[in-house]
This record gives sequence, structure tokens and C-alpha cells, in this order.
Amino acid sequence: MPRELSIFGLLIPTLLPLFFASMLLQGVLDRLLGAAGVYRHIWHPALARLALFACIFGGLTAALYH
Amino acid sequence: MTPEPAAPSALPCLHWLRRELRGWADADGERVLFVVRTLAAAYAALWLAFRLGLDSPATAMTTTFVLALPSSGQVLEKALYRLLGTIVGCAAALALTALFPQQAPPLFAGLALWIALCTAGASMHRNQQSYSFVLAGYTACMIVVPALDAPAGVFALAVTRTTGVGLGVLVAAAVHDVLLPRRQGLQVMRTVQARHDRFLGFCREVLEHRLPPAEAELNHLRFAADIAALESGRAAAFFEAGPAHTRQLHAFNGAFMTALTTFHTLHRLLHRQRHETASPVPALIEPLEALVAQALAPGADASLAGLPAALEQAAGAGRAELPADDGADARRWRIDFDTAAKLAARFAHDLAAFNGIHDSLAHRKCMQVSEPLAYAPKTPPGIVAASGLRAACAMLAAATLWYWLAWPAMANALVMTTIFCALASGSPRPTAMVRQVLTGFVIGAPLIYATEFLLVARADGYPMMMLATAPLLAFAAWLMTDPKRAGVGIGMAMFSSQFLAPANVMHYDAGAVINNMLSQLGGVLLAFVIFHVVLPGHTMGNRAHVAAALWREALAACTARLRGRGERLRHRFDNRVRDLLAQLNAAAGSAPSPETRAVVRQGLTLLELGHAIIELRTLLRATSPGPVAGVLDGTLRALAAWLAAPREDTRTAAIYAVQAAGPTVRAGLDKAAGDDAARLRLALTGLHSIHTSLLDQAPQPLPAATAVAAPAVPPVNPNGTPDAP
Repeated sequence: MPRELSIFGLLIPTLLPLFFASMLLQGVLDRLLGAAGVYRHIWHPALARLALFACIFGGLTAALYH
Repeated sequence: MTPEPAAPSALPCLHWLRRELRGWADADGERVLFVVRTLAAAYAALWLAFRLGLDSPATAMTTTFVLALPSSGQVLEKALYRLLGTIVGCAAALALTALFPQQAPPLFAGLALWIALCTAGASMHRNQQSYSFVLAGYTACMIVVPALDAPAGVFALAVTRTTGVGLGVLVAAAVHDVLLPRRQGLQVMRTVQARHDRFLGFCREVLEHRLPPAEAELNHLRFAADIAALESGRAAAFFEAGPAHTRQLHAFNGAFMTALTTFHTLHRLLHRQRHETASPVPALIEPLEALVAQALAPGADASLAGLPAALEQAAGAGRAELPADDGADARRWRIDFDTAAKLAARFAHDLAAFNGIHDSLAHRKCMQVSEPLAYAPKTPPGIVAASGLRAACAMLAAATLWYWLAWPAMANALVMTTIFCALASGSPRPTAMVRQVLTGFVIGAPLIYATEFLLVARADGYPMMMLATAPLLAFAAWLMTDPKRAGVGIGMAMFSSQFLAPANVMHYDAGAVINNMLSQLGGVLLAFVIFHVVLPGHTMGNRAHVAAALWREALAACTARLRGRGERLRHRFDNRVRDLLAQLNAAAGSAPSPETRAVVRQGLTLLELGHAIIELRTLLRATSPGPVAGVLDGTLRALAAWLAAPREDTRTAAIYAVQAAGPTVRAGLDKAAGDDAARLRLALTGLHSIHTSLLDQAPQPLPAATAVAAPAVPPVNPNGTPDAP
């Protein structure tokens, strides 16, 4: 994957679209987990949510810089 | 609060300490936590902005203060809408600059139009979506104005703004959601519980004749505000992790409105009947009222289940005691009694539904709710148009002043005026809000100056800078937690974060700081003046506008398309009327004036009338053509004519039509059987309640203040003419 994307001549770091993609993914996962009632058994749901996001974004970033 | 366990005799001191600590944690502890969260978000955003080398670290910091709200759900909701509004606003700014490069007059005209559209859009909603609209408007102004002389830099400005806001949004959302958060979902459940208890208590007091009618009206006003508050709380809780009871809360609000309306109709009917001294009906209804009141007592869930049967039995016993002769009085009393008994039965049914939803919410049971309809607010069009016009006027006035004064710093004032005109337009008391923010600015200015040049100038490194600015920012955040001074705190926080946040390359210029402070103060002052001068009567919840809108809604109940069994129309009508009452409540404050109460009374009567009309319309649809259908249609036409032009002659015509319909329906009832008979009986009770509420609209002295307060709109009284719909 290229580290920078050229959009109409503007160089945009690929991290940015990856960030949005991981937000989207996290949103979908979040709804699924919420509907399944997983959050009810977790001590700090918001922290779990943030950690989940960090994992997704970190994973995508690792794939980019592999 | 749960009762304290008995104190162990050995440790009374420890027990006292624990109680004191718990009291402190409930009250001030929450506020301290809020201050901690807010400062953590602000400094984290600023630090990250420096690390990432953003062009405007101050924007990121200001964003965290704008998003500092009590619960995590509210922060997440506002964060999303802030991001959306900023992106749309930046796009609009780019488009405007591209259309009119270096042509100030058309550029300003376009900008004014954009801001007017956005502000008008904002005042149509009364939730965080409206913030998105407001922001889309003034963000465009914030980018276009600095780019006036150098249009080539507009893209860089837009990117700077978006990245700054984006960073602030991310940091604020993460910090407020993760660091010692306060959950919106818990708040919503607490609200649901409190509302349920309060409603049952209110009904019991009314049924036991312990509440004067004026108090009951005020209660209706508060309940309307509660419904709106629960809806916005629900919307915020949706953004949190965990179960979102969206459908159940919609159903809860819907069931509550239905029960409240039925109860109000019943209450008014009983109240009117009590004025008739010769009638035996009030005495016969008394046992029914006592039965319902008993079922409402705390912990009487069992008797609520058996309530419909008990009511049926009591009604049968009461009906047997009515005089059996065929005189006009006796016949009227029978209809009176039947109407009241039917309403009591319907109230028992509504109450059971309301209680069921409440129980399933309280015990976190998953309940299948059949497609509940959402509560949707709407603002009277006059207010929407006025807020758009006002925002455009404010911007153009500030631009003119800028041109005339030729003071470069005035550009800040232009932006500030636009921001505060847009922000305050959704508030029921915009002048009070702008005054609070102005107070925050005025108190903050010398403090900021001192902090900047005595402390920050000597600070060495980021931790020292934090130490230097923390007292002032903490003070502002503390003020934000006080509902009475929240505006002051927000003003101070926004102002100080703009001036205190160090730039990438620091330079200390006392003259520039004073210039900027003065111009920003001037901008807010101009916004304050604009709200006093431009259409001051056209603000959210204005009495005259609400009164006119209430008549329009009642007319819509007559004329709007009817589908199915009228549920959708009934829900929409209920919704709109409650929303208008909630707006009225927000504007009236804690002690509504007599004129406001008159509008409330009017609104409640129209609510009752509208429901009776919708019911009559659904009955009419099911009735086969014939003389009965003919008179019902005629009655509805007469009622529509009266609602469209509420005058004495139209009212008399409506009363005549209702009175004329009675005998025809009764004649039809003698011939009908089965379903038809039941339908005609319902129609008869509907006509009866319409008749009594029409008689209620008898001429009343016009409250003089209504006419004085709003010269732009014709005074509205029961017989006055509101805006032509």
C-alpha cells in the first residue's frame, strides 16, 4: 500500500483514510456488540470501546507499514 | 436516595463522615470530576496539536471547551455534530470564495444568505442537529473573512480549521467517554422513573380534588418540557456503549402523551360537570374516580390490573341510579355519565399500557414494541424566518461597521457577532444568554491579561504553561457546572482558551492582545444589541407565535390526510402541541405569567378538541353514506371553518352544527345494531365533548399585555384571529 495518496494533486497520508475506515469498522462492531449485550458484562464499556478502536486502527497501520 | 442503615453505636463519627462524604460526592464531587475531565481534554488536545504541528492549537483547545458537557453521551453526540457542521461550513466557504474571488460585496451577500439559511435551519430543530446547522453557517464566516484579501490561502485556512476541530473533537470524545465518565443512559433511566412517579402522583392528586385547575395547567406545561427533555436525553444516550432503549423510550413517550391527553379530557369533563348543580352525574362518577385514585397509589400494581373490570362494574351501578324518564335533562345526564365512564375506562387502558412500558424499561426486559413513532419537534415558521433574517442582518451590520471604522481587528468582531447571533437564535431567551457570555468575557479579560503576561510569559515548557493557565481555566469550567452561571463559564472558557493557548511561535504583544480583546467584546456586544433591535418578539417560544401555531395544528387535525385508523395523525398532532407547549415553558421560565397560562389553557382545550375531531373523522370514514354521515361531515366542516377563522359567528355556526348533529345521530342509533351502534355511540360522546369544549371558548376579556407584547402579530385570544394559516 502506498504511504501517501494523491487526490487531485494533493498528497494525503494513507493513514487518514485508514483512520476513517477504522472508525466505520468500529462503529459497526460497536452496534453489533451492543445488540449482543456484550457491554453489559464489561467493567468499563467506554474504555473497551476505545481499546477496540485502537486495536483496529493499530492493526490497519501495521498492515500499511509492514 | 436509599435509606441509611442504622449507625453502629461504636462508630457514630465514622458514620457521620461517610454520610457527609457521600453528600459531597453527589453534589460537588460531580462538579470536580467535570472540571478534571474538561481540563484533561483541553491540555491533551493542546499537547497533541503541538506534537502534530497543527497550525492552530487554540482551535483544538476551544473545541474541547465547547464540547464539555455533563455526560459522555451528550459529548459524543455534540462531537459528531460539530465535526459534520465544520466540514459542511468549510466546503461552503471554499465554494463562496471560488464564486466571488476578491469581490467583497457579492461575497458578503452570499455569505449572509448562507448564514441566514443555516440559522433558519438550526431553529427548525431543537436538539444537537441544530448545532450542526449553526456551525455550518458561522464556520463559513470564520474562513471567508480572513481570506478576503488573500483568496489563495482559503484552502489552507479551511484545512487548518478542520484539523483543529477534528483533533479537539477526538480528544474530547475520548476523554469524556473514558475518564471517570458520567453515563447518559443512567440519567435517562432516572428521568423515566421520576416521570412515572410524578405522573401517577399528579393524577391521584387531581382525582382526589387536591389540585386547583391552575396548578394542573402548570403541571401540563412541565410535562410537555419533560417529554422534550427525555427525547433529547435519549438521542444523546444512543451514542454511548451499552443497550440503547430507543424504541422503548419512543414508546414510553408516546404512551405517556396518550395517557396525559385522556386524563386531561377526563379531568376537564368532570370539572365542567361539577359546575352543573342540578346534575346527579358528579356524585355518581365519584366512586369511579376513587377507584382510579386507589389504583394509582404507590405499590398498588395489583389493583391496576383489575381496574378495567372494577370500573365497568361501578359504571353499571352508577348508570342504574340515573333517572330513567325521557326528559331532555335526563337524556343529557345519561350522555354525560356515559362519556365520563368511557373516558375513565380508556384512561385505565392507557395507564396499563404506560405502566407496562415503564416496567419493561425499569427491569431491563426486552419488550417487543410495535413500530413506535418518534417525537419530532417543529418550530413556528415566523420564528424560523426571523432567526435567519436576524443572523444575516447581524453579519451585514458588523461588515458595514468594519468597513466604516477601517479597524483591522474588527474582523474578529464580525466573526464573534455572527457566532453569537447564530448560537443564541435557538435559545428561548437569547438576550439573557448573550448577556451571560458577555459577562464571562468582561470578567475574563483582565484575568486573561494578567495570566498571559505575568504567568505564561515566564512559564518554561509545557508543564509550567499548564500550571500557569490551570487556575483560570478550572475556574471557568467550575462556573460551567452551575446551571445559573453556565453561560458565564462558557464565555470565559472560550475567550481564555483563544488567548492563552500558546502559538507555535510565541510572541507577546500587549497591544495586539488588547486590540483583539476589545474587538471580540465589541462583536458580542453587537450581537446583544441586534437581539434587542431586530424582531425582538420573534424568539423561540414567543407566546403569540405559539398561540397561533396551536390553532394551526388544531386546523391540521381537521384537514390533514387521514390514513388507517388515524394513529399517525393523532401522534403527530399530540407531538406538535406538546412541543409547542415545551417551547412556551422554556421561554416562560419558572413562573409563567397569566397571559402564558391563558395560552396554555387554550392549547390544552385545542388538544382535547383536536383529538375528538380526529376520532370523529375516523368514525366518519367507517360509517356508510347516509343522513348520519352527512351531518357528521357538516359538523367537521363547520369546526374547520371555525378553527381557520376563530370568530364569534363561526363559533356559533360550529355549535349549531354540533347541536344539529345530535338528534340525527341518536335517531340513527335507535335503528342501528352491533358494530354500527357502538360506533354511533362513540360519535355521540365525541360530539358531546366537542360541544362542551366549544362552549368553554366563550368570550373572555382579552389580556392587554398580549396585544402590547407582540404588535407584529394580531393578538390571539379565544375569539381573536391568529395568523391566517
